[in-house]
Amino acid sequence: MILKIRKREESLGWGVLVVYLGALALALAVCAILLALAGKPALEGLVILFRGAFGQSYSLLDALVKAIPIFLCALGVALSFRMQIWNIGAEGQFALGAVGATFVALSFPGLPALALMPLMFLAAMLAGGAWGLIPAVLRLRLGVSEIISSLMLNYIGILVLEYLVFGAWKDPASFGFPMTAEFVPAGQIAHMGPTLGLSLGKLHWGLLACPLAGVAYSVFLSRTRLGFELAACGEGERVARYAQLPYGFLVLLVMGLGGGLAGLAGCIESSATLGRLQPTVMAGYGYTAIVVAWLARLKPWPIAFTSFLLAALRVGVEVLQLELQIPAAFGQIMEGAILLCVIAGQFFLSYSVTLKRSRPVAAAASKGERA
Amino acid sequence: MSPELIIALLAAAVQGAAPILFATLGEMLSEKAGVLNLGVEGVMALSAFAAFIVCHLTGSAVLGLFAGGFAGALLCGLHALVCQVFLGNQVVSGLALTIFGVGLSDFLGTPYVGVGTEGFRQFAVPLLSHLPMLGPVLFRQDAMVYLVYCAPVAVWFLLNRTSLGLGLRATGEMPAAAAAAGLNPQRLRAFGVMAGGFLCGLGGAYLSLAHTHLWSTGLSGGRGWVAVALVIFAFWRPGRAVIGALLFGGVMAFQLRLQAEGTNVPSSLLLMLPYALTVIVLVFSAARAKYLKTGHSAAPAALGVNIEPEG
Amino acid sequence: MTRAQSRTDIGAVDVLPLVRLAGVTKRFGQVLANDGISLSIMPGRIKALLGENGAGKSTLMAMLAGRFQPDDGHIEVAGERVRFASPREAIAAGIGMVYQHFMLVENMTVAENVLLGQEGGFVLHPAAMRRKVGELAERFGLGIDPGARVGGLSMGERQRVEILKLLYRESQVLIFDEPTAVLTPVEAESLFTALRTMSAQGKAIVFISHKLEEVLSLADEIAILRRGRIEGEFLASEIESPSELARRMVGRDVVLDIKREAVVHGRQVLDVRHLSGPGLDDVSFDLKRGEILAIVGVAGNGQQQLVEVVCGLSRPDSGEVDILGQSWAKFFQSRDWKGALAWIPEDRAGLATCRTLNLTDNLLLTTRQGFAQGQWLERARARETAKGIVREHNVQPGNIEAQAWQLSGGNLQKFVLGRELYREPRLMVAEQPTQGLDVSATEAVWQRLLEARKTAGVLLVTGDLTEALTLADRVVVMFRGRVMGLFPVTDTAQVERIGSLMAGLKE
Repeated sequence: MILKIRKREESLGWGVLVVYLGALALALAVCAILLALAGKPALEGLVILFRGAFGQSYSLLDALVKAIPIFLCALGVALSFRMQIWNIGAEGQFALGAVGATFVALSFPGLPALALMPLMFLAAMLAGGAWGLIPAVLRLRLGVSEIISSLMLNYIGILVLEYLVFGAWKDPASFGFPMTAEFVPAGQIAHMGPTLGLSLGKLHWGLLACPLAGVAYSVFLSRTRLGFELAACGEGERVARYAQLPYGFLVLLVMGLGGGLAGLAGCIESSATLGRLQPTVMAGYGYTAIVVAWLARLKPWPIAFTSFLLAALRVGVEVLQLELQIPAAFGQIMEGAILLCVIAGQFFLSYSVTLKRSRPVAAAASKGERA
Repeated sequence: MSPELIIALLAAAVQGAAPILFATLGEMLSEKAGVLNLGVEGVMALSAFAAFIVCHLTGSAVLGLFAGGFAGALLCGLHALVCQVFLGNQVVSGLALTIFGVGLSDFLGTPYVGVGTEGFRQFAVPLLSHLPMLGPVLFRQDAMVYLVYCAPVAVWFLLNRTSLGLGLRATGEMPAAAAAAGLNPQRLRAFGVMAGGFLCGLGGAYLSLAHTHLWSTGLSGGRGWVAVALVIFAFWRPGRAVIGALLFGGVMAFQLRLQAEGTNVPSSLLLMLPYALTVIVLVFSAARAKYLKTGHSAAPAALGVNIEPEG
Repeated sequence: MTRAQSRTDIGAVDVLPLVRLAGVTKRFGQVLANDGISLSIMPGRIKALLGENGAGKSTLMAMLAGRFQPDDGHIEVAGERVRFASPREAIAAGIGMVYQHFMLVENMTVAENVLLGQEGGFVLHPAAMRRKVGELAERFGLGIDPGARVGGLSMGERQRVEILKLLYRESQVLIFDEPTAVLTPVEAESLFTALRTMSAQGKAIVFISHKLEEVLSLADEIAILRRGRIEGEFLASEIESPSELARRMVGRDVVLDIKREAVVHGRQVLDVRHLSGPGLDDVSFDLKRGEILAIVGVAGNGQQQLVEVVCGLSRPDSGEVDILGQSWAKFFQSRDWKGALAWIPEDRAGLATCRTLNLTDNLLLTTRQGFAQGQWLERARARETAKGIVREHNVQPGNIEAQAWQLSGGNLQKFVLGRELYREPRLMVAEQPTQGLDVSATEAVWQRLLEARKTAGVLLVTGDLTEALTLADRVVVMFRGRVMGLFPVTDTAQVERIGSLMAGLKE
């Protein structure tokens, strides 16, 4: 018996779903085994996880709130992944965004909301974008791998945030806790519930940034010349040179925009969820965003869906943490396991595997690609 | 600064360099075979726990050491599986490995936070430890530091003086040529990744068995990423990796010493040092490669490129 | 069909063939790449396997090398049925292979390349390795420095390394795939001498080629492969008419029916004066509308650098380049996508097109300025245009949603040509435009290039002399970045000397 591996000519259709569900099931199985290893009831754990994530309307709302920063960061990451620029610095760009927004909120507390809010957004996007541009410039100028430089900037960005929160920006009234003073009301994004007269939990108006960014992302990629040039650059610098694609400009653009989106997410998190800056604003959304972007194969709608799914997973893990005393790291394990299984599973999307006897009589069923 | 302080700092630099050097050499082995492994951080985290728990349960530091190595090889085997068999993207698979490894280490290790282990203790090498300067710096260390002295030589020997190393390098440069010569590039790559994982695992084991004798989460603290950067700095040569690792060990020792002495420099700025240094080192290597025009020939030609099936 | 006797067995009944193929068949999905091939490979003889690209030569090679297993039929080595599960087993059975694209690691030394996989022990001794390889090279008269890095060697030297690999393994059957494709005529002649020497020592040589002259001058036996089948097998001495051989190889008369109408030459479109730089040394020539100028030479003698300058990828170091009457800097500062310059690069799958984009997007790759209103892209119009190109140039399959990698080389090239012609260029650069294409695709490409003369000047970079002499008005011969000669193809005395000019011999 020989395994025949061949590149697929046609896409799998509904088989895609099967592959993804299979990968997901495998990842869940791994997690269940780990639960069992830690001496916890495995199946019950998974049930608690899912009930926690999807069981009540407030958990869904909570997931939606968490999905906002994940979605924004994932869009930014996906933009650069499209042209094979591996920006894994969303976490640091997020931190800088939060710092930028906080700087504005603390410096101009007297401004009306209509001026303060846009200024905070702007500062956050500029700070995040600038943080993203550093690896881009290093790569273009010197050929420094953007993978490691953007990752190192994550650590540095978070430490910058901590430096400020532990130092210059610390609220004297915080009893020594590392946090800034609360933003003035004009600098806080309001919850949606009271305005709409609905009970929407912690869901806030920052949600609106998501459809705006998502539509802009998909229009940019599918309808504009620059968006097309971006996709073509994904084949590498040689093609870009042949077709005179503005490769360098695009690298700066995707890293700047990606950083800007992550920065925006940082602004929304500090302004809407915490109302101030403190180290807990860093919840690893920037890393989850990478998982989301890849799982969704960089497409906008799947990114939205997957962001929500992984946000729900985080909510579920929180419940699990409470009920079974499972360490929070369980969420990370799940993300890692799902990503690994899906990468492996994606093999079946582009290749077909057939078992073949060593001396077959008839032609193989699948179509060949080579003559 | 007094001579005693300098010697203490240098000795601490050697200890700080040890785990990074193990990991750098491990990553180098993997990259020489053509596989980029961004999972080093996760591998170090997990193997630190594996080493700790085995040492904790059996009381044997040597068993712990091997447990760390094997845990590293095993986790990297997962990377090899995803990239060699399922042709997954090496960058993303490595990231996933880091997320998974760090998470798993925290998950399994949470109940043991604060638990101590015996691990490896320092012992002075007879005669050599009495050398002026060098003695106290190099030869009053723990067993794993002595092990790390051998590692660069061993990796260099493996790569340049054995048939296995020749095959590994050929696979990293041009898998088709290795295949035409009758070698199995997939198997060679899997070996490179897993042997590299073993070394990274030793780096992780060092953290829990010799660096601290107390388990806590987040032990790896970015050292895995530093290792990935140092491979570039070292131009894929084991000898230069030693210089890079010592540089980082020195900075870390310096930073720890400053913190211990209670300076008024905020700790976040001190903690930033190694990460900022990594970026600087990368910029330096890139600029140097650009100046010498050797950068691209130093990297294995098929690094990061998966072997597509034929037929 | 499975047990057909190889005709050349008859001449040597008492000698066992070193390797015998018996009815070997290989399918890739629906495509029958090899169909019941039977051949005997005899010691001390040179067998030429004559066939076009796509005739199934490389599949046959891959099975002999142990990379593929036959679906049907079998391979015998010294009378024993064998089944190669891996290249290692084929090597152990004494079958050695020199691929067209050398299987050499550029970053390793000659000695390391030769001994790769054959080190004979775990620990290596570099000095001993170099000595062993040096002795071997000397014994067979293949002068080479065993300590040199392969990356720094010429193509001819690299081929010697490949041959050394086979000699070191003591391969009995040596298979060469298009070995002269990268050699100068002089280097090719010394290769032939080496092959004859090895054959005289009792080794069996298989020589794969589509060049008739070579085959006739070298081979003892000739087998013709067409569409995966053996079309005929002859002793070289039996061949009376080479054209008969050619007809059998191609399946019809090979004299391609190219109508080369005279076109009036127009204004100068390219003027290169004393161009020097990396890989280029004082290059001068000009090109007018209505003209095809062929740059011939062995690959790696400055052609690529020249094309990069003309196409705007690298700035001329010294000397001047005028394009369409403008200076280089001015032209590339403000060039239009249409009516200016079009480039058909050698690498059509990795450079001229994006593998994972569909044909519409690949059309947009160089014509997007024509389908954009400001930043907005008019995809619907692009789709219609792509359909038009596919129809007009007969690109198969005719589906514009197909991704570039799904097209065969010939069809992809037709699409690229159609796209570049859509830009109505006045200067066209075509690099190796028919490399690896079958006859009908070659003919189509040639026809289009000749038509393009009506509106453009064509700079044709090729290593194929037939192509150059068929299409071009004038020929430039390049060697080590220098122009060795520039003359019209009608100058028969000069044309005769092209071979030696390519090798750098002026006299």
